[in-house]
Amino acid sequence: MTRVSVAAPSAQLTAFSPRVRIRRGVSIAFMVAALLAIAVSMIMLGALIVEIAVDGAARLFTDGSAVGREARGGAIIADLSTPDGMRWMTWALPVAILLPFIGPRLVNALAPGLPRIAERVMGVIVVAPAAIFVHILYVRFESAYYVEYAKAVGLDGASGNIFQVLAEASGFQIVRLLVVGILVPLAVFAAGWFWAQRMRRPSLIIPTIVIAGWVVYLFMDPWFLSSFPSRQPPEAGIFSAVTGTLYMMVITAAVAFPLGVGAAIYLEEYARRNWFSRMIQVNISNLAGVPSIIYGLLGLQVFVRVLEFERSVLAGACTMALLVMPIIIVSAQEALRTVPPSMREAAYAVGATRWQVIRFHVLPYAFGGMLTGNILAMSRAIGETAPLIAIGALTFIAFLADSPTDDFTVLPIQIFNWVARPQAGFHEIAASAIIVLMVILLLMNAAAIIMRQRTRTDW
Amino acid sequence: MARNFFTLMRSSAPSASAHGAATAERPAPPAPPNNMTDGADAGGGVHFDLTLEAVRHEINEEVDIALQLRDVSAFYGSFQAIDRMTMPIPQNRVTALIGPSGCGKSTLLRCFNRMNDLIPGARMEGEITFEGRNLLDPNIDAVEVRRRIGMVFQKPNPFPKSIYENVAFGARINGYSGDMDRLVEDALRRAALWDEVKDELDKSGLALSGGQQQRLCIARAIAVQPEIILMDEPASALDPVATLKIEDLMRELAEEYTIVVVTHNMQQAGRVSDYTAFLLAGEERVGRLVEFGPTQDIFTNPLDQRTEDYITGRYG
Ligand SMILES: Nc1ncnc2c1ncn2[C@@H]1O[C@H](COP(=O)(O)OP(=O)(O)O)[C@@H](O)[C@H]1O
Ligand SMILES: [Mg+2]
Repeated sequence: MTRVSVAAPSAQLTAFSPRVRIRRGVSIAFMVAALLAIAVSMIMLGALIVEIAVDGAARLFTDGSAVGREARGGAIIADLSTPDGMRWMTWALPVAILLPFIGPRLVNALAPGLPRIAERVMGVIVVAPAAIFVHILYVRFESAYYVEYAKAVGLDGASGNIFQVLAEASGFQIVRLLVVGILVPLAVFAAGWFWAQRMRRPSLIIPTIVIAGWVVYLFMDPWFLSSFPSRQPPEAGIFSAVTGTLYMMVITAAVAFPLGVGAAIYLEEYARRNWFSRMIQVNISNLAGVPSIIYGLLGLQVFVRVLEFERSVLAGACTMALLVMPIIIVSAQEALRTVPPSMREAAYAVGATRWQVIRFHVLPYAFGGMLTGNILAMSRAIGETAPLIAIGALTFIAFLADSPTDDFTVLPIQIFNWVARPQAGFHEIAASAIIVLMVILLLMNAAAIIMRQRTRTDW
Repeated sequence: MARNFFTLMRSSAPSASAHGAATAERPAPPAPPNNMTDGADAGGGVHFDLTLEAVRHEINEEVDIALQLRDVSAFYGSFQAIDRMTMPIPQNRVTALIGPSGCGKSTLLRCFNRMNDLIPGARMEGEITFEGRNLLDPNIDAVEVRRRIGMVFQKPNPFPKSIYENVAFGARINGYSGDMDRLVEDALRRAALWDEVKDELDKSGLALSGGQQQRLCIARAIAVQPEIILMDEPASALDPVATLKIEDLMRELAEEYTIVVVTHNMQQAGRVSDYTAFLLAGEERVGRLVEFGPTQDIFTNPLDQRTEDYITGRYG
């Protein structure tokens, strides 16, 4: 006879024994400590961010306080409220937003199993209208803005015709109209499409981010991004700081990435494990902890004075490269270590040389991780101020650096400079600049996360 | 006893094959001595000094010797993993290395294609003669050795690339300039994988099942046209059906290649191998060769008590 017996829960197991209670107490104590630590910093950071956002938004989405300037948001709202504008909004915007999402599904459903290249061509064909709609919308809003602007500043013949305004507009403004209006949307939608193909399902991520960013940009005051610093807070912009930051980052990455990755490859793949390589390794870790102002002094002596780069983008970038090199090396080493030994053995076993193993296997598998580390290192460099102050980066730069040896400024220095001034107006635009800096940082970190997930291999 | 059972046709006169050119540049060293000369007194049946000499069975067929080991020892730093092993690896046969884990089977296998070179601190002594030259000689190019002596690992390890790329990689880096598609197809056919993957050659190798992955690894090894294929417990991570497939494949491949397979599965050794070497780690975990001979003889008539114990399952 079989009988299923369910044992009655024993009293000893269900009751709180003293030991269970102690263990609970311990875990609660840790939880409280963690909550305290997190809560304090979060609340303070949150308050700071809210304050910055409130101040900064005032300048980013200017409400007409700027001398001779109409709010762009206002111009758009005014334009949308016309019957013509309503018509555009009701169908052009949905098409622009939905096409990239629905397109891949549609093509996959109508013609499954297309060769990859055909899929991609189809992708661009389907996506192109979306980009064109975005462009139309952009030009509409941009022209509405230019027209308002032209009226406000009393440009000749500014009777509301975009072409007349363009005739007055600078080359830069025309380029912006074309690039921002059509190339960017097309590139983004096409990238979203390819991404969707890779993932074998339509992806909403990239188009969503871009459309959201684009809408924000529409309502922003572009003059803040495209003006040079000024003595009048409402006139001042961060154009030279943003371009200086980008310029410096490109050079920093170009210097630090190859060197850092090279060093990591040497340490992981070639160096024997002896006192020498151990010493290098320890020193790299130590360098990561050196205060950044020290790097600034080093840069001042080595790059500015000895190598005579002057106080240039190049000197700043080289200093930053030194600063982030340890981060890049260590993260590249970690990326290399994630490549399983079995992959190297497999490659060696078919007669690959060490370099072939590295070139065709280790590097490709580790590259995503290396890039991620590089982006994170760059996001560290982008916010660094002290070393650049040490090398004497100027803060009032009313021109763009055309060559690596020109003077320059970067966002954090611009912010530092504005915050240090007594007038409240400068504090406001400093907050705006902080928002821009944070958006750039968030975008970089998001890119790093996406990259890490995309390139992860499940061995 | 057993003096002249090996005919050493190949070792003294390397064939004028595609690889002939490489070998011909240096004067061929004298033919290696018959492996039996220094182990001649081993079969006396009275007393085996097993720290030095292993028992050998007679080999009753004419067979070429692909690899001749003489006093091969291997060290990891100061730890000696295998001690003075002397034995032949017959050509176009399957030779099984058996023994409890930790007795140095993998270490020995990895000596054959100089894979141990990649481990810091690893060191090898003795001689492994391949086409008249000592593979362990530091002047021998280990990369070339590995091209000609392929390897399949315990855990299937395809590259995270397409199936096609997995197979083509070895040939490409070795400067193969012929018809790559045909080479890939041929290797996959020989590895009994072609029919299953021919429509999805650009699928990732990692998307295959474990057994398919292992056959892909075999195809990858075959694609560089090696003479010898080393397999380190190739089926130990696979289910029984996939294991049988790999075993069948080994038998088929033995017609064209010399195969050395490590296994700790007795039945598998019995099923697939023509020759068997029994290794055992003695005191201080130093691995030594206990007995070598035709699989049939080793299994039915082991000469050493410990071989018998192991085969009948009295060891771990
Ligand atoms: N990379 C290594 N470094 C140090 N010792 C090793 C290494 N690989 C194997 N050994 C040691 O060598 C001995 C033989 O190992 P191995 O050849 O893997 O045995 P088997 O394959 O027969 O199980 C074991 O004692 C093992 O601990
Ligand atoms: Mg092993």
